Amino acid sequence: MIKVNHLKKSFGKNEVLKDINEEFNQGEVVVVIGPSGSGKSTFLRCLNLLEEPSDGEIVFEGTPLTGLKEKELNQLRQKMGMVFQQFNLFPHKTAKENLTIAPVKSKGVNVNEANHKASQLLQQVGLGDKEEAYPANLSGGQQQRVAIARALAMKPDVMLFDEPTSALDPEMVGEVLKVMKDLAQSGMTMVVVTHEMGFAREVADRVLFMDNGSIVEQGTPEEIFSNPKNERTQDFLSKVL
Amino acid sequence: MKKRLIGFITLLLMLTGLGLAPDQANAEDGSALQRIQDAGVLVVGTSADFPPFEFYAVVDGERRVVGMDIMIAEQIADDLGVELQIQDIGFDSLLPALEARNVDVVIAGMTPTAERRRSVDFSDIYFETFQNLMVRAEDQEVFDSIESLRGQRIGVQSGSLQEGLAEQIPDAEIMSLTDLSDLLLALRTNRIDAMVMQGPNAEAHAGHDDSLHTFVGDFDLEDDDAGSAIAFRQGEDSLVEAVNETLSYIAEENLTEEFLAVAGEYMAQAELDEEGEEIEESFISSYWEYFRDGTLITLLISASAVFFGLVLGSLLALMRLSNKFLIRPLATAYIEFVRGTPLLIQVMFIYFASGMLFNLPALTAGIIAVSLNSGAYIAEIIRGGINSVNTGQEEASRSLGMSKKQAMRYIIFPQALKNIWPALGNEFITIIKESSIVSVIGVGELIFQTRVVRSISFQGILPLFVTMLIYFALTFSLTKLLNYYEGSMNHD
Repeated sequence: MIKVNHLKKSFGKNEVLKDINEEFNQGEVVVVIGPSGSGKSTFLRCLNLLEEPSDGEIVFEGTPLTGLKEKELNQLRQKMGMVFQQFNLFPHKTAKENLTIAPVKSKGVNVNEANHKASQLLQQVGLGDKEEAYPANLSGGQQQRVAIARALAMKPDVMLFDEPTSALDPEMVGEVLKVMKDLAQSGMTMVVVTHEMGFAREVADRVLFMDNGSIVEQGTPEEIFSNPKNERTQDFLSKVL
Repeated sequence: MKKRLIGFITLLLMLTGLGLAPDQANAEDGSALQRIQDAGVLVVGTSADFPPFEFYAVVDGERRVVGMDIMIAEQIADDLGVELQIQDIGFDSLLPALEARNVDVVIAGMTPTAERRRSVDFSDIYFETFQNLMVRAEDQEVFDSIESLRGQRIGVQSGSLQEGLAEQIPDAEIMSLTDLSDLLLALRTNRIDAMVMQGPNAEAHAGHDDSLHTFVGDFDLEDDDAGSAIAFRQGEDSLVEAVNETLSYIAEENLTEEFLAVAGEYMAQAELDEEGEEIEESFISSYWEYFRDGTLITLLISASAVFFGLVLGSLLALMRLSNKFLIRPLATAYIEFVRGTPLLIQVMFIYFASGMLFNLPALTAGIIAVSLNSGAYIAEIIRGGINSVNTGQEEASRSLGMSKKQAMRYIIFPQALKNIWPALGNEFITIIKESSIVSVIGVGELIFQTRVVRSISFQGILPLFVTMLIYFALTFSLTKLLNYYEGSMNHD
């Protein structure tokens, strides 16, 4: 579904991603772990071109995103949902409006249909009673669940999660992970950057370990967590587990 | 200062004019007269704070500029077979307006001094006049000649003949102001000790105010300085000749006497209106129309400037945030230039410069100038607002597949607007107050009308107070309105 060929990314002289080749398949849940500064967030943001790669290409459902025209890129992005560490809900819109604005304005969905879908999605993430609430009146966990629902409202083929629980108070992490588990079970293709090793072990089909701009090791959760081969993986896991 | 300013503007106008109309100044083949007859209208510039020559009065329930000069203008327009149109402009902007072709002729009790003759042509003298000194009534025993005023503080209207005459008073400390009403107020409140004023005008004022006393000053007058004449652009001889014919007819029939008598009636009538009732009440009831008209025009200018300023400001702000070649430097240059030059000059420049190309009404020129000016300030406010919105908002919008435009319109801009609301409110209030600057080109907004009321009511302070209250009412209501909308944008 997403193919990454020779992806490189530099900020100035600082090379953050060094020639990454990877492929994500339909229905797969891939968790990316690694120390801070290893380039995992940048890698994820390159997948939908929020970061422009310095070199290499991203092929999504057969179409290379790199070098695509603005308009076509926007259309393909509609199929790639993204959830951010800081939620990034639109503070001037209610929960429901957060879910309907993009489908209505950029996809041309009719308002009634969008509203109906929004209610259904908010119900699905356990916030059926918060349709009219503004983000400022929601807890962090609730905001992140709205953000997930917002991405789902575009009916994406793949969901990208950028450390979705890192900015949350500990007692709210569970509710967000629960929504993500449900989503994984429904068969959604997901790429998740996270520090939640429990989630990775339980939900992931595949775990990538990144360090210093490269994918150092990958395998099933079993392989990575129980029997890491690379020294850096061992070192990292010994610190977080 | 004022003179230098006008000199500077004239220079600018000449520069702009050089490439555009190089031959119009010299060539004269009867075209000036022909042009006016073709247009069917004679546009006369005057400065209507100068009774009995030109001042405002209510005629048949309508406020109009009246006075001797206006009756002469009517006679001229009749003889030329055209309509008469009066443009009321500040005295020291009259000659620039004439040269910039905003008006056809200037009839404003103007003395054809040698200095003025260098830039414009004059008709024959239509009114022999004398030059007075005006003092406080209580000083009338002390001050009775030029010599007695040695070393005193003397007020004169800037750019006037009297400004030169005041120099004949030994060691005088001279105060030049644009507005005669301000000078009279300065005299009443002891800020100056005497004024040099044109004779009939001084008598008109002293006749209305017991606290003032006037007498003919023993000035050395040059021949030219002893009368009033009509000013024309240089080289328009055919028009001068036609006007001189009318003037000689007026002189033969001794019509000026008659005109002055009519003007005197208008002045007496204004005074009559005031008597009887309590002064405050009658002041408001006599002049409320001036304040109302002024307020409406101030509102019109401010509302237009806020609207066009917002549109232009948004555009400029987006240009400044653009990465495209040349777009950003262009917007930056505009903003820097407009913010770096005074609004006063911008207003005069647009009005006078446009006058050389096409006939832009003063009100339109004023609205354009204030809009262009506020656009630059609003652009910077909006740019700041857009930058203040977290980049995560744009990323979230883009990740949902919105285009840059949609993200700006639905997500970024509404949030920016909320952040900059107080600063925008500030700018709107500034616009209301600064719109008063367009009074220099004769737009009848609130400050302009206040000046008119001061000159016809012979009251110095009360009109200022009323105007202050009106401005405060306007800005305070705006503040309340803005606060209301700020509240409705608040979702925290």
